[in-house]
Amino acid sequence: MTDIPRTTHDGRRARGYVMVFLALAAITAIELVLTQIGLAASAAGALFLILSLGKATLVVMFFMHLRQDSRIYTAIFLLPVILVLAFSTLMLMSAGGH
Amino acid sequence: MTSHTIPHADDFRAGRELSLDHRKLGMWLFLASEVMFFGGLVGTFLHYKATLPTPEAALLDTVLVGLNTFVLITSSLMVVLGLDAIQRGRRRGLITFLGLTALLGAIFLGGQVFEFISLAGHGVTLQSSVFGSSFYTLTGFHGLHVLIGVIWALVTLMKAARGTYTAQEHAGVEAFGLYWHFVDVVWIVLFTIIYLI
Amino acid sequence: MTTATPALSPRRYFGWSTDHKVIGVQYLVTSFFFFLVGGAMAGMIRTQLLAPDSTLVSAEAFNRLSTNHGSVMLFLWILPVLAGLGNYLVPLQIGARDMAFPRLNALSFWLLVPAGLLMLASFFVGAAEAGWTAYVPLSISGPDGQTLWALSVILLGTSSMMGSINFVTTIFTMRAEGLTFWRLPLFSWSMLATSILVLTATPVLTAGLALIAMDRLVGTLFFSVPAGGDPILWQNLFWFYSHPAVYIMVLPAMGAISEIFPVFARKPVFGYRMIAVSSLAISLLGLTVWAHHMFTSGMDPRLRVPYMISTMIIAVPTGVKIFSWLATIWGGKIRLDTPMLFALGFISMFLIGGITGVFLAAIPVDLHVHDTYFVVAHLHFVLFGGSVSGAYAALYYWYPKITGRRFDERLGKVHFAANFIGTNLAYLPMFLAGLLGMPRRVVNYDPRFTELNQLASLGAFLLAVSVLPLLYNMIVSWVNGPKAGDNPWRARTLEWQGSSPPPVHNFDQPPVVTEGPYDYGEAEARSMMPSPAAAGD
Repeated sequence: MTDIPRTTHDGRRARGYVMVFLALAAITAIELVLTQIGLAASAAGALFLILSLGKATLVVMFFMHLRQDSRIYTAIFLLPVILVLAFSTLMLMSAGGH
Repeated sequence: MTSHTIPHADDFRAGRELSLDHRKLGMWLFLASEVMFFGGLVGTFLHYKATLPTPEAALLDTVLVGLNTFVLITSSLMVVLGLDAIQRGRRRGLITFLGLTALLGAIFLGGQVFEFISLAGHGVTLQSSVFGSSFYTLTGFHGLHVLIGVIWALVTLMKAARGTYTAQEHAGVEAFGLYWHFVDVVWIVLFTIIYLI
Repeated sequence: MTTATPALSPRRYFGWSTDHKVIGVQYLVTSFFFFLVGGAMAGMIRTQLLAPDSTLVSAEAFNRLSTNHGSVMLFLWILPVLAGLGNYLVPLQIGARDMAFPRLNALSFWLLVPAGLLMLASFFVGAAEAGWTAYVPLSISGPDGQTLWALSVILLGTSSMMGSINFVTTIFTMRAEGLTFWRLPLFSWSMLATSILVLTATPVLTAGLALIAMDRLVGTLFFSVPAGGDPILWQNLFWFYSHPAVYIMVLPAMGAISEIFPVFARKPVFGYRMIAVSSLAISLLGLTVWAHHMFTSGMDPRLRVPYMISTMIIAVPTGVKIFSWLATIWGGKIRLDTPMLFALGFISMFLIGGITGVFLAAIPVDLHVHDTYFVVAHLHFVLFGGSVSGAYAALYYWYPKITGRRFDERLGKVHFAANFIGTNLAYLPMFLAGLLGMPRRVVNYDPRFTELNQLASLGAFLLAVSVLPLLYNMIVSWVNGPKAGDNPWRARTLEWQGSSPPPVHNFDQPPVVTEGPYDYGEAEARSMMPSPAAAGD
């Protein structure tokens, strides 16, 4: 893909992937521990959302290569994500309305 | 048909000027529409979660599903390691990692089937309540995507075995990878809103 | 560009082909067939409504007719006819030899055929009767045809999403050398904006329809009110697609007439960039307004005013377009040929549809006229006066490109006159009937609306007759019409720079674009020159 000489690049990329994987596994473990100790529901909701957003971002940026690929791909992916967040929020608001 | 008798020098030159590969762009556009599709289902699930009592939610086995989540994340690692292998020209590595991906995907599906059966044993079915309907629909549509991904992984594996991909030309592996990671991302979100919150 | 084109068999239009030009024509012809079917349904509806207590059709049959009239016209006529134009034109306009994914392109057309037949076949098992909006719980309890309807619309949505992936990828990656985004023809710009909208809005409808289909087929409880299912949820899912759908159906028509005005006024487009960007603005704003359809359905009162404001803001980019078109023809050497007449008709009638849309966005007005014939009139001015006029204009404008023949100009003008008078006669009285309180979707009505309904029916019959000169003209001219030459309108966009009809590979040499597409009236202006490689020929 890139013109970086193979020798310097070889192991490094795979090591990077493994680091990302370890981070994902660690966050999942933290989530599971948090559910078992029974956090206060109101605080837990926000915390879990932030954690999962972090995991999703890691996968999209590193495994799906958005970090180094064209920004156009990022824009194409972000537009629907923003729309879905807006849609879900409005659905929840209208659920509160009646 | 003798179409395209006069070859154009380069059909996708404009794309390359923008650092875009047409196959990857097509895949991302497809994934964008998938975000909206799951968005509609997730919005539905959240709407009912907020408006209706869901006593069945207590029956969900978060630990089992957490392990399943771990399986799916691991499979994503396999895909990127496979991609890395073929980028270095190691076809054998690609084949191994794709095989592991398919295997882990199958384990995930097995876990999901086990979960569905035990929930059904507690009386939670598609027709038992709005929660049952939206739970099985949301996780079921995701499971369907995993199933398609497993089949796609095996097809990619066979193509790799036939020598379709090289260090220079492996857009097919990348396209599959994008799909698989996306299915992983969807599960990360579903795991949170269904099981954690 | 005088290379002899090998004679192509007309049989290629009747089977699987991955040539975007063949697929484009397949779309155009197939959608026109469904237009006639939807028109026949409208004819029955308007005949029934000639008298306030007519018993020509039963109430049940009336509901089925109106449901399927709407669905066929939207999903099987307007969407595919515009997709057909896009298929034919986008690769030619950007100097590509085909779409980015030719097989996917063929597949998206071949999904249209079974989906259309599925919708029509539903009449044999009791057609859908819940309105094209398929509001629950009506659509859950209706006859079996409702299931077929849902599956058909899922297929059509899938087809349209596959097409959109193709359009966006093609425009981003296959533009000819020198054809930058700011030289992209306005029709291609509009297809880009439309495709973005299709890809973001359609999947939400697909999800909603999947829920309806599952409720009907496997007994899920999403919309079962006794179990706690929420009918408003469906309305949100439905309108999240179906409001943007109006822009999906009108943006390509706007793009087409943006091509026509500069050619027939012999002037550069006024505000090229503003027209291009306003398409994107309409797309993005269009995604934020859906719940204005639900002012009367019960919604969080805090959300009403934001939805009203975002809806009204859409009038701004739309106004930018209309004033740019007017400024384009202002002071030009206007030639009133058929495409230009339809383009002018588009402006005048779409304006009525658009302005009444702003009325309807105002909450108090909407509460008053919701579900009356005012809404019916509004949407027909937008979709028939707007989209269909635009499609007609495009059909006449690109007819010589597609067939290599000239159509009969006199018949074209007859068609325009009948269509213009018919549209206004059919839909203007509906505004009045609606304001006076006549509800939509009723099989019988209060006798005080009789005259207005008879006027509307008269207009509808005139519209039905107006299709005859069009059909005759299109068929006979293709066989017997005089040769048109490569560029009969002396247009400057890239699709007109090659031979008409184009060769299979579109361009003998990859074109190189050196100027913008609309520099009319400037001496020595050329939009394209042969590539350096061809210079030695």
